[in-house]
Amino acid sequence: MTAVRLLLGKDLRVLGRSPALLVALLLYPVLIALLVALVARFAGDKPRVGFVDNDDIPREITVGGQTFDVSEVIDEVETEVDLIPLSEQDAEERLRTGDVVAAIVVPRGFVSRLQSLVRQPTLILRITRGGLAGRVERQTEALVYNLNRNLQDAYIEANLEYVDLLRQGGTGEFLGNEFDIVGLAGAERLLASLRDRRDDPAEQREIAELQAFVDEAELALTQSEETLRATANPIVLQLDDEGRRQWFLSAQVQAYALALTLALLSILVAAAGIASERDENVLGRLTRGLVRLGELVAEKIAFVTVVGVALGLALVLVLGLAIELSGSTAFASWLRLPVVAVGLAFAAAAFGAFGVLLGVLARETRTAALVALLVALPLVLLGSLPEVSVSPAAWVSRLFPFVHSVNLFESTLYDVDPAATVARELAWLLALAIAFAFGARLGIRRLLA
Amino acid sequence: MQLSSADVSAVGPNHGDTHGGRRGEAETVPEGVVLAARGVARRYGSHVALAPTTLDVRTGGTLALVGPNGAGKSTLLGILAGALAPSEGSVIVADPPPRIGWVPQRPAQYGRLSARENLELFARLEGIDDVEAKVASLLRLVDLAAPDRPATELSAGNQQRLNIAIALLAEPEVLLLDEPTASLDPGQRRRLWELASSVREHGGAVVFATQNIDEVERFADVVAVLQDGNVVFHGPFDRLGEKRLPFSADLDLSARFARDTA
Repeated sequence: MTAVRLLLGKDLRVLGRSPALLVALLLYPVLIALLVALVARFAGDKPRVGFVDNDDIPREITVGGQTFDVSEVIDEVETEVDLIPLSEQDAEERLRTGDVVAAIVVPRGFVSRLQSLVRQPTLILRITRGGLAGRVERQTEALVYNLNRNLQDAYIEANLEYVDLLRQGGTGEFLGNEFDIVGLAGAERLLASLRDRRDDPAEQREIAELQAFVDEAELALTQSEETLRATANPIVLQLDDEGRRQWFLSAQVQAYALALTLALLSILVAAAGIASERDENVLGRLTRGLVRLGELVAEKIAFVTVVGVALGLALVLVLGLAIELSGSTAFASWLRLPVVAVGLAFAAAAFGAFGVLLGVLARETRTAALVALLVALPLVLLGSLPEVSVSPAAWVSRLFPFVHSVNLFESTLYDVDPAATVARELAWLLALAIAFAFGARLGIRRLLA
Repeated sequence: MQLSSADVSAVGPNHGDTHGGRRGEAETVPEGVVLAARGVARRYGSHVALAPTTLDVRTGGTLALVGPNGAGKSTLLGILAGALAPSEGSVIVADPPPRIGWVPQRPAQYGRLSARENLELFARLEGIDDVEAKVASLLRLVDLAAPDRPATELSAGNQQRLNIAIALLAEPEVLLLDEPTASLDPGQRRRLWELASSVREHGGAVVFATQNIDEVERFADVVAVLQDGNVVFHGPFDRLGEKRLPFSADLDLSARFARDTA
């Protein structure tokens, strides 16, 4: 252990003498974390979607007595997708070449069917296979849902006018035909007049039955407005974003930034650190009885763990302060900092062991740093994929520390009861650290050649 | 190729300890031998850096390893030092094991640490009690200028002085030097050989690799000539002239012996 302690002191001293490297090691992963978070947030946010208007939709459409500004609707759609006006033939060609991921086709007669209020107009969505198709399909479904929601009011108003006509009576129009109806109020008046003029008990009973029907119908139709709105929108989603965190301060982004920082920093430092022992030509001198090869592997992992915990805690403090200063809500994790530190240590050790393994395989410092970067980035991206969408990738990513670190930090920072998740992920990280360290110990003789 | 013992003079009975491919075997070193290679070889894939070689290093003697670049001198020294594991064979040492100081061809030190910090680190790793005193005495011995500057900022000569100083930390009984004088000035060369002589006079042994025939003639008792990983000559220096070596011109051997004969 003395040898490990002495070499650890040496490495920390060397690192301390490289402030530029230290700053770069800290800032680079944080920058990457923010960029990746931004990309994750906005990547493909507006896929290119063709818009084929075969019905020459006018600038304004009147439906059920309400007028809609079509350009406003299109503007709303364009917050989700990049709409590109195309002819039908052009849309087919661009779909084939992948220039657009989907095309929304407005068929002829769409507006007249919409205005008829009795026939459902149809929008056609043409999509490519794979890739973003599912996402665009969901976005288009959301778009149609939003359009329908806007139209609902017009439809309900129109229907309510007919209901009102049924209740009050008067002149109406349907499919271009005008008509007069007596309405429930008029029927009630007629029945009252009949009742006064008839003495036959049998007729009086029939009049009373009709009167009861008119009363019940009137009562039912009085409720129709609320009923129509309720059946049109069984569940109303109320937007409430008061006092919540900005997305860039969310638990996921914090956990992601921490894990990404640790991953890049630890793998790079460990790989370059072990390879630099060979580049400095000191390995032969050390392993002639001064330091065992296993101790050298352990020392590098310990070094990365110390650096990882220190920089990780600094990052947690910065994020915590940012949350406090944002004033939206208090940072809930100050009391959990010791647990966070333990998590940082396990994660850094696992990443560090993996970095040492890469370093002994690469042998030279520059190669090791390059290999570390080339290997770390895809593993991070692999660990960032949604598990359900790419399950083989999820399985592979479980064999590396990134996804476990994200889960661990997310749970440690914000779960109400994180014990089970933390224990499981710590066990994973420990097992991975041991496995990678064992591999590094087996391979370290390569450095002596 | 196997070669029998190289005579490097002898002191004391020794019982073996080993490092290398057959670590732990109960083979003992011969009488007066402090360090011995037994069929040691080193291969990198299909390339043979050192063919199986058997060699004894005797107490009180100086063995020179001579040969052109890539002959296997550094590989043999590295194996004797225990810094390089042989692909086959083993190195056995006397009992108690001698303290071995190794000066590799390329300085082996941490570039971002100063000369003093390098010496302090390796002294602590060696388990030396009074580190500061030891470091101060070695800095005086090698007369190192600017001991507090990072090692990378030192001249090649000063880096080599530090390289030698680190090897001397453990007060070695066997000194293994790999082309040690390549970047030293004449004064430092003289001082190094005085130091080597001192080790030998105190009952130790010196093995050095070189391409400088003057140094071989002046300081070596026995010469082992290597070529392409094989020992092609082994014996006293004055018998080297009888041997026709294909690379003699490279080492200026032909001219040397032609001059001596004249």
